[in-house]
Amino acid sequence: MPDRDTQEPGPQELLRVEGVVKHYPGVVALSGVSLDVRAGEIHALLGENGAGKSTLINVLSGTTQPTSGQVLVAGEPVQLRRPRDAQDLGITTIHQELSLAPELTVLQNIFLGRELRRGPFGRGLLDEHAMSARVQGVIADFGLTERDLRRPVGEFGALTQHVVEIIKALAFDARLVILDEPTSGLAEEERVMLFDHMRRLRERGISLVWVTHRLDELYGLVDRITVLRDGRTVATTDTTESTPADLVRLMVGRKTTSLGVIAEGRTPAERPADPRAEVLRLENVSRRPVLRGVSLTIAGGEILGVAGVAGAGRTELARAILGADRIDGGRILVDGEPVRIRHPRDAYRLGIAMVPEERKTLGILADFPLDKNTTVSRLGKVARLGLMLDRRRERAVTRDYIDELGVRTTGAGERIRNLSGGNQQKIVIARCLFTGPRLIIFDEPTQGIDVAAKAEVYRLIHRFVAGGGAALVISSEIPELLHVSDRILVMREGAIAGEVRPDLRGDDLEADERVSAEIMSLAARSVA
Amino acid sequence: MTSLTTSPATSPGTSPTSPTVRRGPAGLLREVVRRPSAGVVGLLVLICAVMTFLAPSFLTYGNWYNLAQQMVFVALLAIGMTIVLITGGIDLSVGSVLGLSAGVMAYLVNQGMMFGLCLLLAVAAGAALGLVNGLVVTKLGIPDFVATLAMLGVAGGLLYLWTGGVPFTGFMIPVYDTLGGVTPLVGDLTAPILAMAVIAVVVAFIMRRTSFGRHAYGVGGNREAARLSGVDVGRVRVTAYVLSGTLAACAGVLLAGRTTAVAPTIGVGYEIQAIAAAVIGGAALAGGRGRVLGAVLGALTLTVASNVINLASVSPTWQPVAVGTILLVAVGLDRASASLSRRLGRAAPSR
Repeated sequence: MPDRDTQEPGPQELLRVEGVVKHYPGVVALSGVSLDVRAGEIHALLGENGAGKSTLINVLSGTTQPTSGQVLVAGEPVQLRRPRDAQDLGITTIHQELSLAPELTVLQNIFLGRELRRGPFGRGLLDEHAMSARVQGVIADFGLTERDLRRPVGEFGALTQHVVEIIKALAFDARLVILDEPTSGLAEEERVMLFDHMRRLRERGISLVWVTHRLDELYGLVDRITVLRDGRTVATTDTTESTPADLVRLMVGRKTTSLGVIAEGRTPAERPADPRAEVLRLENVSRRPVLRGVSLTIAGGEILGVAGVAGAGRTELARAILGADRIDGGRILVDGEPVRIRHPRDAYRLGIAMVPEERKTLGILADFPLDKNTTVSRLGKVARLGLMLDRRRERAVTRDYIDELGVRTTGAGERIRNLSGGNQQKIVIARCLFTGPRLIIFDEPTQGIDVAAKAEVYRLIHRFVAGGGAALVISSEIPELLHVSDRILVMREGAIAGEVRPDLRGDDLEADERVSAEIMSLAARSVA
Repeated sequence: MTSLTTSPATSPGTSPTSPTVRRGPAGLLREVVRRPSAGVVGLLVLICAVMTFLAPSFLTYGNWYNLAQQMVFVALLAIGMTIVLITGGIDLSVGSVLGLSAGVMAYLVNQGMMFGLCLLLAVAAGAALGLVNGLVVTKLGIPDFVATLAMLGVAGGLLYLWTGGVPFTGFMIPVYDTLGGVTPLVGDLTAPILAMAVIAVVVAFIMRRTSFGRHAYGVGGNREAARLSGVDVGRVRVTAYVLSGTLAACAGVLLAGRTTAVAPTIGVGYEIQAIAAAVIGGAALAGGRGRVLGAVLGALTLTVASNVINLASVSPTWQPVAVGTILLVAVGLDRASASLSRRLGRAAPSR
């Protein structure tokens, strides 16, 4: 029995986590987490990567068993041995990688594994009618129609897929919905719509636990915030009582860190005094229907940002430059010479490298150790006689990058899948640097990594261009673009909608707001 | 860019303690169990131990010499299959490619062509069939399973049409006696055994120490990530099929020499054994995993199994049943040893 009495469990308290500890071989993932969630509140869960958010979510969703500690739902201690246990208690988790079957329809996905049945022979027939009736009252609220229910989920974008997960939760009387970084794949207005959906859930009396990295999303939406650090709960606070700077301090736990430092721009010394030679030029590059007549130039020492809503063609632009997709019109010039890039290999030879979006599925080679991940793009550099790979040199090179980029790991031989997101991303960047590129395309370089790691990624980008390289940075986070870019191109429907120049000092909030408003209006103009 | 300092990696704040290898019985067991293909070795040792008791003739030089002779063909096919599996593909056509290459060899020798040239052309035929497989898969985008299944049918059918159902014979000129292992090279060493050993070592080297090998594992592990990293995924995959076809042809040429005739059914059923041997040896059908040594051990396991059936004077029709069972047991043991190694790993920090 816990002798440390809990403060009177308020009548509206839905979930309480007490002193949960989780050991993995060699690692302590959670070393004492507590959390309480009230009925009908939006509760944000903050923390750097490795702080224990994912493990806590796994415990709550029944996929991981805690080593010690307990979980109470509505005051009752519960055992969550498998995902079904959590679901039966009304706890639904919506994971970052959505767990939907793209070929199945919305309705089929909602009821997957829990289909409603009818008919004689042991109720062996699916009751389509009952199933659509069951979600009838909900779908309109979330902007879906009766017809949408019969369309394959794969036809919808990320937002609607989240909505499907939400409806799935509602169809089975969820009381608590856990959202694991739902906005990382969404564009600006989609996020706003998702926030509306979250408020709607709260109005229905449903509690939400929301994991996020983005402090700007919290205000005006979240009721309370719990911050984890190093597997421990360091604070639970009302949103109104904390500033972003407070939260960052709590998350990072180092005295010197503040938002200002994290979002720091380049010092004037790091900026090239005069524009250098053009590295890349695009003339009317097209790949119908996703790219239409895109022209741009990037010079050495320059960071060009690319903004736009999801589906505006930003990633398609990156893929076209890298040769991952064919272009059907226009020219690409490197150093003023027209080139044909038919395959990423051609791009790497020309000195173009890319840090892809979706690090887990497109960036890392999960089963490879760090050294093999680092050298894969240019194995010739570590081969003797152009044939025999020199393992010792691979290790040495990787160790140098580990030191230089500050990768936290046990060594070059560790498997990359064991690293946190930020450290994985640093290795992907090391892979690019190892090819000796003059242009690196960064596609959502800080997606899903923590604040401190973001700052380090910015620092690496800055250092790369300070050495004369050029960078193309694609991002859905406008503040990120404002702080990192020299110029920002805004894309809309596969074309360049305009160009804006951010305020370079990075300390003028009004100027930042003006520029972001400009970006948003350019990005959305004809969509509205 | 990197400044080439070779200071030891003392990264700040290294969090998880590195799993240092502990000596002692538990540490040794952990080591053994953690090795890939621990399952297959265990199974092999078990079968051999049991057989040594039951049949005195099992653990004799003569019997193992025969085993080595018999395993060559499946081993070569399994090595090729392992390469393809590592890249995330599958090659169902190896049996027919083996047969058709053997047919080319027998036919050309019968035409009186120079032996070395016959050999070259027969192996080239296998490589060409592999190339077709690879191009159909990568350029036409036809799924590997379908493309190689089609090749299995086409190549097998062509051999049948070509022979008219009557085996090619009469090609056993003296030099072929040597190549087929009827006459040994030096002492007891025969050409097929030598060929198998050399090929296994060379392919193991290729997979471990060359760019192609590294890229093959990368492509099988995550095709899109490999492509975006600048790996020429198409070329890697085509090369894997070409190697598989080449090795199948080598097996075919040797098998023709051993059986002294090329029947239209010469390669039938070999693809199952090749896949089984590769998987027993630790290759994953999902790609990204597999080892050449494992493939050879897998082939040895299957050969030992059929040897056991012979020695126990059980009807050879039981052999496919044995292959299937061994496949399940070996992969099951592998699973068990993986989870055992995880359990042992978990127990470690509490000490």
